[in-house]
Amino acid sequence: MEGVKTYNRKKVLVMFCIIFAAAMFLVGRLGYIMIGQSAYYSAKAQALHERERAIKAPRGRIFDRNGVVLAGNRPVCTISVIHSQITDPEQVIEVLSRELNLSEEDIRSKVEKVSSREKIKSNVDKAIADAIRAYHLDGVMVDEDYKRYYPFDDMASKVLGFTGSDNQGIVGLEVEYDSVLQGTDGYILTLTDANGIELENTAESRQEPVAGNDLYISIDANIQSYVQQEAEKTLIAKEAIGVSIIVMNPQNGEIYAMVNAPEYNLNDPYTLNIDAVYNTEEEKQDALNRMWRNFCINDTYEPGSIFKTVTATAAFEKGVLSVEDTFSCPGYRIVGDRTIRCHKTTGHGVETFRQGIMNSCNPVFMDVGLRVGVEDMYHTYDRLGLMTRTGIDLPGEATSIMHPQDEVKDVDLAIMSFGQSFQITPMQLITAVSAVVNGGNLVTPHFGMYVEDPEGNRIQTYEYPIENAVITEETSATMRDLLEAVVAEGTGNKGQVEGYRIAGKTATSEKLPRGNGKYISSFIGIAPADNPQVITLVLINEPTGIYYGGTIAAPVAKRIYENILPYLGMEAVYDAGDAQQEAGE
Amino acid sequence: MREDRQDNQQSRKQIRFWNSGEYFDYSLLFIILFLVGFGLVMIYSTSSYTAALDFGDAAYFFKRQAVFAVLGIVCMLIVSKVDYHFLKRVTVLAFFGIGLLTLAVLIVGSASGGSTRWLEIGPLRFQPSELAKMAIILYVAFATTVQVWKLNDWKMLVKIMIPPLILTAFIAIENLSTAIICGVIIVAILFVASPKYSHFIVIALFGVVGGALFILTAGYRSDRIDAWLNLETHPKGFQTLQALYAIGSGGIWGKGLGQSIQKMDFIPEAHNDMIFSVICEELGLVGGICLILLFIILIWRLTLIIFNARDLYGALLVVGVLAHVAVQVLINVAVVTNTIPNTGIPLPFISYGGTSLVFLLIEMGIVLSVARQIKMRK
Repeated sequence: MEGVKTYNRKKVLVMFCIIFAAAMFLVGRLGYIMIGQSAYYSAKAQALHERERAIKAPRGRIFDRNGVVLAGNRPVCTISVIHSQITDPEQVIEVLSRELNLSEEDIRSKVEKVSSREKIKSNVDKAIADAIRAYHLDGVMVDEDYKRYYPFDDMASKVLGFTGSDNQGIVGLEVEYDSVLQGTDGYILTLTDANGIELENTAESRQEPVAGNDLYISIDANIQSYVQQEAEKTLIAKEAIGVSIIVMNPQNGEIYAMVNAPEYNLNDPYTLNIDAVYNTEEEKQDALNRMWRNFCINDTYEPGSIFKTVTATAAFEKGVLSVEDTFSCPGYRIVGDRTIRCHKTTGHGVETFRQGIMNSCNPVFMDVGLRVGVEDMYHTYDRLGLMTRTGIDLPGEATSIMHPQDEVKDVDLAIMSFGQSFQITPMQLITAVSAVVNGGNLVTPHFGMYVEDPEGNRIQTYEYPIENAVITEETSATMRDLLEAVVAEGTGNKGQVEGYRIAGKTATSEKLPRGNGKYISSFIGIAPADNPQVITLVLINEPTGIYYGGTIAAPVAKRIYENILPYLGMEAVYDAGDAQQEAGE
Repeated sequence: MREDRQDNQQSRKQIRFWNSGEYFDYSLLFIILFLVGFGLVMIYSTSSYTAALDFGDAAYFFKRQAVFAVLGIVCMLIVSKVDYHFLKRVTVLAFFGIGLLTLAVLIVGSASGGSTRWLEIGPLRFQPSELAKMAIILYVAFATTVQVWKLNDWKMLVKIMIPPLILTAFIAIENLSTAIICGVIIVAILFVASPKYSHFIVIALFGVVGGALFILTAGYRSDRIDAWLNLETHPKGFQTLQALYAIGSGGIWGKGLGQSIQKMDFIPEAHNDMIFSVICEELGLVGGICLILLFIILIWRLTLIIFNARDLYGALLVVGVLAHVAVQVLINVAVVTNTIPNTGIPLPFISYGGTSLVFLLIEMGIVLSVARQIKMRK
């Protein structure tokens, strides 16, 4: 029997040392991974285990000036399936297709698709979602979410705009004030196993969502809704393609109402509001873009006779005109080599300027325009904000299209004097006329007034620039007086409102190209004439039949004023003269 | 010889078992029991989540392993009472029997078209390659002691090595990892038995060059090399990468027993070869090092038994077991820490696997049997 010799022991010791050395090397390696690279691998492992579930922040609401909700949020749900967690696919398919009214094949393909998460339907009503939740189906996820909701459907649709699927603004105020209205999404971090199943009792971090701030705008829901009714009635009555009305406070630029009939349903903005067949997606998209368009600020037009207020203002400012100056109208005027007609082809005869504006006589204003000259005319345009955007807080504002000043000949100036051969937006026009009648202050028309945080603290109040004394108070007073005369005794007489002093001006603009019989009939009305508090511009786009602004647009303004002036706290005043006149009729 | 053995058997019956002065290595027994117990705890911790999902029973793997642990410990204690010299009688028969078994598995495996490492006899299902490691230990220890004085000679060395190397080659076809372990066992026993060093330097060189050639020629193995070098991007690096995530996120003190997340299906079959990574994640660097130290203490204990063994045969048996345990621990930890390319070797006593645990414990029984015959100096 061999014994264990010394060299055997020595060799075992050598072996042990080799093993020990190798083990120590591995301990070193372990230390390197667990200390040196611990942060790296921990982070990677953490990222692998964590699933971030976003909690959507409710978007801030939009209120009218009296606190009526114009845009709010409604809870809706998103239904999705998690393939790996489904235990009874047949039941899932059956229940979802029944509850959601979707085809079985559709749901089957999603249920059977091997993916971490498949969305079945979003914007599901909460009641339906609760019904689905009640089945307690494995692998069916019901996530609550908020959807933008507009309680008045189509009220001020072209002003408010709507939001997209991610709750971001797409058009209108929703875009303009997106950063105010957007909240900050929160999230829940949960740990999951390799199949994405959330682990119970694991520490999860949760970041609460921060709701968006609420926006208060100058629109008055009552005025807006009344004005919208009037616009829609007029749209139908005149078989027009559009009726746009702006009601604004001329002193500070707060817009009470802005209507562009036909409006569209903000809760369903991708359905066209007119019956039409579109062959291509592109055509349909173009039609949608047209439907969302806000004519008052996105489009330009020839303002026509209302613009005579600007021409007169320029003349008074230059001191080349007095109210009693006399003019003669033979029914046309020859400027340079062109004969330009008055709307009354037989002529108004000899008339004072006061009569000229009351008659809206073109030759009078051609003469006045030529008296002012191009340079001073453009200067006045500039002062009245007609050469730049108004700065209204809506996206996509258009601006005027004017002849370059150095290219304007006498004939051009004569035509421009009664509001043709250039284009401005309705918003520019109402802003300019506001400055004319309010004592010479160019306001910035706007909607946004102030912002409140979700707790109701006012955190921001918007200030808008007002450019003072763009014209003199004296000119302004003269113009108020003249425009009151236009309504009291002139072409604007259908804009009279019993018991109120209304100033105003009518216009009938023939659309380009001339002679196609398409008009924009308009009326601008100011109340009260001696201390303007409300200015209203009514535009009827392509009316059928009678198209004179004084005949069809002025009565719309009249009805609006009859309704909103008392509402705004302005008492009707009947003086003896009025009573007599009534008695006499 | 015969008289000697009879003498032994008689003295064992009369004295060894009942004599309180008889040496029994309780330290070794304690270390083994601790490792097995720790292994069961870690298997429960590691597998309970997936077992509950897959089998509806969190203790599924734990229960199975516990049965094998009890079986193995009983086997160990019985074997420890058998005079290890008796093993000489069955060595040749066992060796060739297991050789045939291995060959049979290979043929059945290739016939069924897949990689088969399992042999099923009725309800029993085991891996012959586990048995082969033990057979190789017995065979080489026996063959070496027969003519140990001739070990100076190359020819003798080669003569002893040829039969176990043929068996190893069979194993290598299906299971390279086990073949490597077998090779190391063969060389370790001969190294300790031989008075020479030079032969083994040549053998080591052969091993390195042969290994390199093998890796370069076999396609799927160089795939493993690619995965090893480009762990984070290679698709086959997934398992090891997940193990590294587990180890790295453990830090110094670990997440606490049962707190691993990587075991939740991130590491495929975490309770098998990759269990060390979950130990590190839950018990931290401290736990990992403690476990490695425990294995070193075990190996040191075996070394002491070799030093004091009654005869060379007993010593060489223990050398074989020592090499077996040591090489599995080192390769396993090296794989899990991405120190070497991935190869499936379980962590002795800890990893899930009945065959492996039972045969390891039987080997430990042999070691305890060798330890019993140590003559204490008075």
